Amino acid sequence: MLRITLLFLVAHVALAQVSNQDLLNPPPENWLTYGGSYDSQRHTKLDEITPGNVKNLQAAWIFPITSTNRLQTVPLVVDGVMYVSAPNEVYALDARSGREIWQYRRANGLNRGPNRGVAVFGNLVYVGTPDAYLVALDARTGTVAWETQIAKTSDGYFSPGAPFVADGKVIAGVGGGDNGLNGWLDAYDAETGKLIWRWYTIPRPGEPGNETWAGDSWKTGGGGTWLSGSYDPELGLIYWGLGNPAPDFDGDIRKGDNLYTESVVALDLKTGKLKWHFQFTPHDVHDWDSVEIPILVDAQFNGRMRKVMAHADRNGFYYVLDRETGEFLHGTPFIDQLNWATGLTPEGRPIRVPGVEPTLTGNFVCPSTSGATNWMSPAYNPVTGLFYLAAKEGCGVSFKGRQEFRPGGFDFKATGYIESPEEPWQMYVRALDLTTGERKWEYMQVNAKSYGAGLISTASGLIFGGDDQGTFAALDARTGAPLWHFETNYRISASPISYAVNGHQYVAVAAGVNIIAFRLPDTN
Amino acid sequence: MFRAIVLIILLAAAAWAQRGVQRNTNPLGSSPEVATAGRALYNQNCTNCHGLDATAGDRAPALAAQRSYNRTSDQDLFDALTKGIPGTGMPALGLSTDDSWRIVAYIRSLRASAADFPPKGDVAQGEAIYNGKGECSTCHTIGGRGGLIGPDLTNLGARSSVRRIREALTVAKPHPPAGYRPVTVHLKDGSMVRGVLKNENNFSLQILGTDDQLHLLSSNEIERMVRDDASLMPSDYDTRLAAEELTNLLAYLSRLVR
Repeated sequence: MLRITLLFLVAHVALAQVSNQDLLNPPPENWLTYGGSYDSQRHTKLDEITPGNVKNLQAAWIFPITSTNRLQTVPLVVDGVMYVSAPNEVYALDARSGREIWQYRRANGLNRGPNRGVAVFGNLVYVGTPDAYLVALDARTGTVAWETQIAKTSDGYFSPGAPFVADGKVIAGVGGGDNGLNGWLDAYDAETGKLIWRWYTIPRPGEPGNETWAGDSWKTGGGGTWLSGSYDPELGLIYWGLGNPAPDFDGDIRKGDNLYTESVVALDLKTGKLKWHFQFTPHDVHDWDSVEIPILVDAQFNGRMRKVMAHADRNGFYYVLDRETGEFLHGTPFIDQLNWATGLTPEGRPIRVPGVEPTLTGNFVCPSTSGATNWMSPAYNPVTGLFYLAAKEGCGVSFKGRQEFRPGGFDFKATGYIESPEEPWQMYVRALDLTTGERKWEYMQVNAKSYGAGLISTASGLIFGGDDQGTFAALDARTGAPLWHFETNYRISASPISYAVNGHQYVAVAAGVNIIAFRLPDTN
Repeated sequence: MFRAIVLIILLAAAAWAQRGVQRNTNPLGSSPEVATAGRALYNQNCTNCHGLDATAGDRAPALAAQRSYNRTSDQDLFDALTKGIPGTGMPALGLSTDDSWRIVAYIRSLRASAADFPPKGDVAQGEAIYNGKGECSTCHTIGGRGGLIGPDLTNLGARSSVRRIREALTVAKPHPPAGYRPVTVHLKDGSMVRGVLKNENNFSLQILGTDDQLHLLSSNEIERMVRDDASLMPSDYDTRLAAEELTNLLAYLSRLVR
C-alpha cells in the first residue's frame, strides 16, 4: 500500500502541468507568476498563518545558492515543487524540505546583472540569462527544451527580468539601458521558442514618438525592460514598466520627452501593438526607471467601478490610471522628501522645479537616483483596500558629464550621483489608500537605509517583508504593527511568496545567499 | 644535500621576489607632478565607473576608499589599465604607456597611507600626549591596551591618511560613524545603559557600554532611548593642544602600524 501511495505521489509530480486556466485562476497553493497572479496583487488566499498564530512561525528549511550574495529571485511553486534562480542557474526544490531535485547551470555564462526569477507553463520553466538568451527547461529534469537568443550577446544585452507567460506566449525583455542599449519586449511561442512579435521601447524614425528625441539621440536612448509585467485577460493587454533614458544624467544631448522611457505601456498581447502609454517622468535625468510592477485592481473611483492600475514610481509619486485607456486618474507623492516637482498637472505630468537637474559640480535632489522605490514589488489587499510598498526617504547629489557611447555594453550614464551624507536615509513599509494614495500607516525599518524586500499580503491580514538588515517580518495589514520576525542576517533584496503543500501554508523569501521557507509547527 | 637544494631554491625564490618588487616600481616615479597629470587623465577616463576622485564608485570599486585594494602593486594597477580585468566591466583603456603610469601614480597617491609618508615630529612626546593630556587611551586601544569604546588604532598609520587623521582630531563630524553612535537607554526596570550603538533594528539592540561591557537588549525592555548626534570623539585638538603638541601627536599616530 505504501508503495502504491509513493508511486501515486511520484506520478502526480511528474504529470504536473501549468495550464492557461491555472495562470488565469491560480490555485492558492501554487505561486505561478512573478506577481503571484496576472494582476500582480501579491495577495495570497492562503489563511493558515494568521495575525494570531504568526508568532509561532519558524524556519522550515534553508537552501543556499552561493554563486551570488544578493539573490533577487522570486520563487515559483507548482504542486509542491519550487523553482528558484540565480544568474546562469535554475534549481528545482522539494518545497516541503528544500531538498534539491535538479539544477541547471549555463556553462561559460557571463556575469551581467542579477536574475529575478523564472516563469512556468505546461511542463517548461523559462529563464532569461546574462548572455541575453531565453531558455526553456523541462520542469521535471532541468534539461533544455529550447533556447532562443533575445539579443546579440556581444551587443552587451542581458535578460535579468522574470519572463512572463500569457496565452501561450512567453514575454521577455532586456537590460542594458544604462549602457545606451535600446530595449524591447518580445513574445515567443511557449512551446517552440519561435519569435511572435517584438515591440521596441524607443520609437524608430517614422514611428510616433521618435520626434521626442533630438537628432539621432534615439539610437542610444535606453528604455530597458528588466523586470516583469501584469496582464488583464479581459482586455487582452499586458502592462510593462520601462527603464530610464540614456545617457542617464546628461539630458542635453537628448532634448524632448524621450518616449517611451519611464512609461508604463499597454500592449495587445496578440499583436504586440501599443494600445496606450503613460509617461511618469518625461525627459528624466536622474535614472528613475519606471519598471516598478503595476498592480491591477477593479475598484470604485469617483462613484463608479473602473479598471485601474496603481503604480508607485521611483520618482516618488503614486499614480492611479485607468488601464483601459491610460487616462490619469490621480497622483500624489508617497514620500515626504521630494524637491524636483511641486505636483502633477491634471494630465499627470510632473510640474518641474527648475534647477534640480544634475550639474558638473553636483546638485541636490530628493529622492536621489536610487529613488523612492524600485524593483521590490508592492502588494495590494482587496479587503483593506490598501496598497503596500517599500518606500525610501532620502536625498542625493547628482552630477553630469559628457560621455561618448561605446557599443558592446559599456557604461553610458554620463556620470552619476552620491547619496547625500548630510541626510539620514530611512526605509519604510507604507500602506496607501488605493484610490487616494493617502498614507494610512507606516512601519519604519530601524537602521535600514537601503532597499530590502518586496511585500506580500495574505487573506488573513498579514504583510510580509524584509530589509537590508536581513530582518524578515510580518506586519498587521491594518495597523503596520510587527507581529513576528526572523533574523536572516543577510541583506534581503527579493520579494517573498506564499504557497502550500499538503495543506500547510509556507512563506518563502530569497535572503542574501539563502532561500528560506517558513511554516507553523505541526503542533500549532 | 637535499636540505642544501631546498635552501638554494628558497634563496632563488627570495631573489626573484626581490626582482619582482623592483619591477613593480612606477618608471615615472610618484612625484606630485606625475600624480597631478594622472589625475587629469583619471578624470577623463575613470570617473564614470569609479566615481569622482575615486571616492564613490557606482559601478566599480571606489579606488581611494577601499582598504582591501591598497596592497595592489603598481604593476597590477598598470596591467588592469592596459589589459582590462577579464570577467569584469573593467576594459583596457588603450592609453599610452606613460599615461597609464601617470594614472597609476595618481591612484597610488590617493591611497598613500600615513605610514607611507609619516609627518615629522617628536614621536615620543606624541605618545606621551596620547596617553596623558590628549586622553586618547581612555577610549582607544593600541595593541590590546586602552579603552574599548572608540576604534582600535593599532594599525591606524597603515589604514588612514595623514589628512584623515588630522581631520579626525580637528573637524567635528555631522554624524558619528556606524557602530560608534552614543546612546543613553532607559530601561523599564529603572536602570540605564550609556554607550555606543553597535547594531539595532526594530527588535533588538547591541550596545557597548561606557563600562566596556556588552549590553544585549530587546526593544520591549526599553522605556526610552536618547541618541546623541555628536560623536564622543573630541574635535578640538587644535585648541586643546599647542601646535607643536598636535604635530607630535600626528607624528606618533601616523607611525602606528601592526
